[in-house]
Amino acid sequence: MAEVWEWLSKMENTKPLALVIFFTTFVAIVLYVYSGKKRKRRLESYKHIPFMDEDADEREPRSQRNNDDD
Amino acid sequence: MSTASASAAANPAADAVYNYGIIKRFTVMSLFWAILGMSAGLMAASQLAWPWLNMGIPEITFGRIRPVHTSLVIFGFGGNALLGTSYYIVQRTCRAPLWGGKLAEFTFWGWNVAVAVGVVLYMLGYTQAREYAEFVWPVDLLIAAVWLAYLAVFAMTIRHRSQPHIYVANWFYMAFILAVLILHVFNNLQMPVSLTGLESYSLFAGAQDAMTQWWYGHNVVGFILTAGFLGMMYYFVPKQAGRPVYSYRLSIVHFWALSFLYMWVGAHHLHWTALPDWTSTLAATFSILLLLPSWGGMINGIMTLSGAWDKLRTDPIMMFLITALAFYGMSTFEGPLMSLKSVNALSHYTDWTVGHVHSGALGWVAMITFGSFYHLIPKLWDTTIHSVRLIYVHFWLATIGIVLYIASMWVAGIGQGLMLRAFDEYGNLAYTFIETVSFMHLPYVVRAVGGMFFLSGVLLMIYNVYMTITAAKRQPRTAESGMEAKPAST
Amino acid sequence: MKHESIEVNSGLLIVLILAAISIGGLVEIVPLFKIDETVEKVEGVRPYTPLELRGRDIYIREGCYACHSQMVRPFRDEMLRYGHYSLAAESKYDHPFQWASKRTGPDLARLGGKYSDEWHTQHLINPQAIVPESVMPPYPWLMENELDYSDIEKRLIANKRVGVPYSMSQEEYERNVEKFGKDMADKLHIPNAEASLEAQATNRVWDGDPDRITEMDAMVAYLQVLGTMVDFSQYEAGELAEYR
Repeated sequence: MAEVWEWLSKMENTKPLALVIFFTTFVAIVLYVYSGKKRKRRLESYKHIPFMDEDADEREPRSQRNNDDD
Repeated sequence: MSTASASAAANPAADAVYNYGIIKRFTVMSLFWAILGMSAGLMAASQLAWPWLNMGIPEITFGRIRPVHTSLVIFGFGGNALLGTSYYIVQRTCRAPLWGGKLAEFTFWGWNVAVAVGVVLYMLGYTQAREYAEFVWPVDLLIAAVWLAYLAVFAMTIRHRSQPHIYVANWFYMAFILAVLILHVFNNLQMPVSLTGLESYSLFAGAQDAMTQWWYGHNVVGFILTAGFLGMMYYFVPKQAGRPVYSYRLSIVHFWALSFLYMWVGAHHLHWTALPDWTSTLAATFSILLLLPSWGGMINGIMTLSGAWDKLRTDPIMMFLITALAFYGMSTFEGPLMSLKSVNALSHYTDWTVGHVHSGALGWVAMITFGSFYHLIPKLWDTTIHSVRLIYVHFWLATIGIVLYIASMWVAGIGQGLMLRAFDEYGNLAYTFIETVSFMHLPYVVRAVGGMFFLSGVLLMIYNVYMTITAAKRQPRTAESGMEAKPAST
Repeated sequence: MKHESIEVNSGLLIVLILAAISIGGLVEIVPLFKIDETVEKVEGVRPYTPLELRGRDIYIREGCYACHSQMVRPFRDEMLRYGHYSLAAESKYDHPFQWASKRTGPDLARLGGKYSDEWHTQHLINPQAIVPESVMPPYPWLMENELDYSDIEKRLIANKRVGVPYSMSQEEYERNVEKFGKDMADKLHIPNAEASLEAQATNRVWDGDPDRITEMDAMVAYLQVLGTMVDFSQYEAGELAEYR
């Protein structure tokens, strides 16, 4: 394990390695997220989640109701 | 204060009720600490302008008041706001009651006791001298326990959700919880002087200690003051705007980029110090990259309003939220700029840094919290806000306060930086240090005035919230208590 | 693995977030504990004496780091104003480090020996009496409070546990004699701690009051040792530059 850290602590090793790994990961995420019509529809559908409990949310103010809190 | 938290968790999901009682208490405590913390900040700012305000009283000298200010606003105001809103959002977006009962209660009491005890101990002279981690080791242990409980409550609530997808706001809160856990544990490795005392010495020394501390210090900004509050933004901006977030896919991409990049940048607080050069170069590089995910979040938030820009004129809560995003965009541009080694040579150790922190802390963190609270509080108490007009007044007091603050700190910081590196025609230093101190007097006065504006805005908010809550309590009530909204039965 | 499974699996989400946030810290911090280049080899850096350590404790208690850095950067103006730039080795016994992040007051890394003990005492009691424009708070209680050094041995032991070479055994003491000389090794010997603190506090009248050992004694002793341990005249200009 010590050699691995030793190797990683050298900038000339770390730089290209990190660049390759993380840039690949990043590109993969972007490609995944932005490819496919079906996926687009699915992912963008999630943005409506905060509005899914509207019926509880948009209740009449309390004065018109008889349901109260502490 | 008696709530239904314990019983809520026992209910099966179908007719479960949300636990709002604990959120109410977090909200109130957040505002309570805000007043104390910002007053301490105003005191500290005034002491720099008028040093006689130190009054020779040990407990209130600048060196002790400063951590009181930072801890109260970050952990008291910010921390309570994040715990409260995360419990609200996770319940509503997962459509599940809060898990944990007594354990959730413990996160409330444990957290607030830790903050209270911690800052009193600062005033008595007990500190670890690590910025934003000054709490002494017994308090650190309590915080670690609270944080594990918080992680359990949050993760188990998500596990018991009835909504299949985990909404992105919860991702940001999760990253915030996990990162803070790691940061807190590793930056607070201490050797106590004795097990019955409060004092301790840090496990690491010198350069290693500096790196650990600023890895922590910057990521407190990254994961508490950024990731956590982005979680808040991803729920309350769409809710208040009445329209879904601009692009869900953008939120996924910028979430992963932000989580990954932030942890690299801490060493930009140590440019030109005795830290190895490669560390600070690496940190500067990642700081520049960090601009992209930061602006991804800002654009996503602001564009949520596209097609409904008129709300910016008609809805003061929206004004708070969007102004917060604008300040977020500005300070995440200024940050990478200041992380460049050439700029940092001038800006480091000066008030420019202080101004930068406050454009983030007042402009982004506090403004997004105020906006979210104005939306949240009427919902929690099932009523309407006492006065919309006062929200407008608060908005303008806060904005004027921030502008005065940032502008004066730019003048003080850049001015001092330039004076300290100025040479006369013979190659001697043009100014003594004390001449820069005299120069900063006026900006310090303006800064204190800015702080006064900001604080008076918060006092107005407290009044408005107090009136809202008491009016709600005067309404007729039934025996049902502590249990409010039911999740939609879809 | 599909991203969809991350979105619906909270355990996986936690694992991936942990992975994403761990890498940066590991890459930047872990090597610092491994490579020798982090801390230069220079002569003279030694642990604080018991009295200096108590002074440092008070420096921390009062939050001096909120306004004073202890880190001279390698710039011409800072070299002229403060002295030679700071080396990592100079804070290798600092638990915690006190580099700080703000200079509302000047840097203190090379403060030792610049002013007299009396100047420091008067300045700490009432800064504006010495420097009228100063915004520094007064610290008159340092002169009033007797120094509490009842637990000085425990403090040294705690420091020893985190790697500062205070000596407990005869063997460790001998090693310190070799490294720091007999006078200093005596002061760094834990069983001697109380006597050595008293001796150092009374042999030189730090705060102008020879009868009492005050917090001011410890504070001034600490301030007077800052930045004085390394003799920079022994090193060629630029010899240490490779460490920056």
